[in-house]
Amino acid sequence: MISHSQLAPQRPDRVVLLGGNGFIGDAIRRQLLGRDVNVLAPASADCNLLDPQSAAQLQSMLRPLDAVVMAAALTPDRGRDMGTFMKNLAMVQHLAAALAAVPCTHLVYFSSDAVYPAELSRVAEAAPASPRDLYGVMHYAREVMLREVKHVPILILRPTLVYGARDTHNAYGPNRFCRSAAGEGTISLFGEGEELRDHVHVDDVARLTVRCILHRSRGTLNVATGTSMSFRAVAQTVAGRFAPRQIDIRSTPRVTPVTHRHYDVANLVKAFPDFRFTAFEAGIAALVTDLQGEK
Amino acid sequence: MLPRIGFAGMTHLGLVSAVAASEKGFGVVCFDPEAGHVRLLTEGRWPIAEAQLDELAVKNRGRLRFSADPVALRACDIVYVAPDVPTDDAGGSDLGAISALLDQVSSAVSDETVVVILSQVPPGFTREKQRRIRNLYYQVETLIFGRAVERALRPERYVVGCADPAQPLPARLAAFLAVDGCPILPMRYESAELAKIAINMCLVASVSTANTLAELCERIGAEWSEIVPALKLDRRIGEHAYLAPGLGIAGGNLERDLATVCTLADRYGTDADVVRAWVANSRHRRDWALTTLWKHVLTGTQDPVIAVLGLTYKENTHSVKNSPALALLDNLQSFATRVYDPVVSSPPGTRPRCHRAASALEACEGADALAVMTPWPEFRRLDPAEIASRMRGGIVLDPYAVFSAVACRSAGMRYLTLGSPPKD
Repeated sequence: MISHSQLAPQRPDRVVLLGGNGFIGDAIRRQLLGRDVNVLAPASADCNLLDPQSAAQLQSMLRPLDAVVMAAALTPDRGRDMGTFMKNLAMVQHLAAALAAVPCTHLVYFSSDAVYPAELSRVAEAAPASPRDLYGVMHYAREVMLREVKHVPILILRPTLVYGARDTHNAYGPNRFCRSAAGEGTISLFGEGEELRDHVHVDDVARLTVRCILHRSRGTLNVATGTSMSFRAVAQTVAGRFAPRQIDIRSTPRVTPVTHRHYDVANLVKAFPDFRFTAFEAGIAALVTDLQGEK
Repeated sequence: MLPRIGFAGMTHLGLVSAVAASEKGFGVVCFDPEAGHVRLLTEGRWPIAEAQLDELAVKNRGRLRFSADPVALRACDIVYVAPDVPTDDAGGSDLGAISALLDQVSSAVSDETVVVILSQVPPGFTREKQRRIRNLYYQVETLIFGRAVERALRPERYVVGCADPAQPLPARLAAFLAVDGCPILPMRYESAELAKIAINMCLVASVSTANTLAELCERIGAEWSEIVPALKLDRRIGEHAYLAPGLGIAGGNLERDLATVCTLADRYGTDADVVRAWVANSRHRRDWALTTLWKHVLTGTQDPVIAVLGLTYKENTHSVKNSPALALLDNLQSFATRVYDPVVSSPPGTRPRCHRAASALEACEGADALAVMTPWPEFRRLDPAEIASRMRGGIVLDPYAVFSAVACRSAGMRYLTLGSPPKD
């Protein structure tokens, strides 16, 4: 559940965007610039959060009227080991030290739905966080660390599966399906692709984040569309974008049990009752177009 | 000679109980410490809406005496202490007022007077008060908002909490209760206090089951209304079971008992996870209208107008406590809304974009969607074709199925209800 500190949207003096060159960060930066919001997105060369010196560097960058968006993390493709886990915590340790010295007006932390147990089939913000792997524990620990920072209103965003052209993770789902369909003309499913999941377009994540910044929202919010579909349905939608080319959707032997995940988006609706998500078909169409443009 | 009955605390429970006692032929003293409130009651200006209440109050006015002076209760053989016990947002009871009223009553009456707590109190409350009030009893009330008078006139049973259930009830109390000819169940205080909660827990369990399965019906193509008769013909469930799906638990009383059970379970280390699940399910279903409007109207229509029929938490009552309609309106403040309720003139709070209509049909004028949030009987008489002609859009949210789905669809409207899959 989140609450808005500013009922009428109001631009902050500046948004300091950490992780602004990442998949989600870049989309947020574009949305903010589109709304004429002053954005500072330091590159890791200017402020490498892994470096203990980054606390002082950030402290010198921050102004009291800034809003800070923390979207920087070493994602699972960079490692799922304890070393990566500790590095991720160190990044937030340095940010927290800077914020303790220069409290800003608003902090948005990009967490993950990995804080919820994987077997949870229906997710609402009230569900207890109970992560099962180091990646989920890392995000939850970071949430707690940042909540400990005094005098900084914080919003925790927990996005579910995010897709979009600039995603470099190539995780199982729309992005991988589009790339393999475009390349090999095949889409390979785990089992029959029965699992139901909620997929949200990165531009929707960014638009929602910007709204939260403009309203200086605080609390915890899952970022999901409220509509789940099977991976097979995702594959079929992707394949449909390549017509008349035939895309071969292949099943593979199942090695893990089928689990489903649905989101109760009532809190999102209460916070932004007019927010409209990109229709999945339109999102996939944009993704395919963007990927073809990249080529 | 019939015993004279006193009632202290002239809010919903006290008023209904007092009028019912007068209808049964007893002389009744109605005491409330608020003089202004008593004056209004004396003038016949009653603050609550209940079927039959006004007529019976007029019919029996010769047996009803109102007073703001507790000394008036000295004439009574039995005094029921019956104020409505307010609850906070979490369902916690504020017992300050009833404790103060008990003190006033016990100071005013003699040791021989039978004092009966009729309000909903947590287990342990009566035992603690019995230290200072010798002839103290607790009686379970099973009042239903909207049917309170009927229930008070024809109770199913009396559950009476006693300091020592092995001792016979005082003759005057036994005589008063015997008038209805229903079973009288004496038990220790704590059992009676928990019996009240147990009754409500069973009701909540039924409602939660109905809500859980009705939601599933909406997704898998089943019709909850087809299933209900099968359940009601099962003797283990019964024809009067609460199986109508709704928008969560509201009104305050059931929420109070849920909170009480959780508090007791936390204190004594017993398991109440199922109760917490009921609470969560109730909150989830309360959002049905909002999330349905979001999906079908709010995100697809430019500056939509939403008509809302009904503000009270259920029909035939004035109460808006935890009303799903108000919860919906709270979340629609940025949209234009048009509301109508037969009893509540306007929703509380400042709502610049909320228009209070003079009738149900006026509320529908120019609306893109209609949400029937309380199943008031007068709404059932509305003609869907007439509604459709007044509306700009054609979405009808009718959670309680006050309209015919077929008639709404025939009128060209998209009809959405609980326990039934959406149909175009």
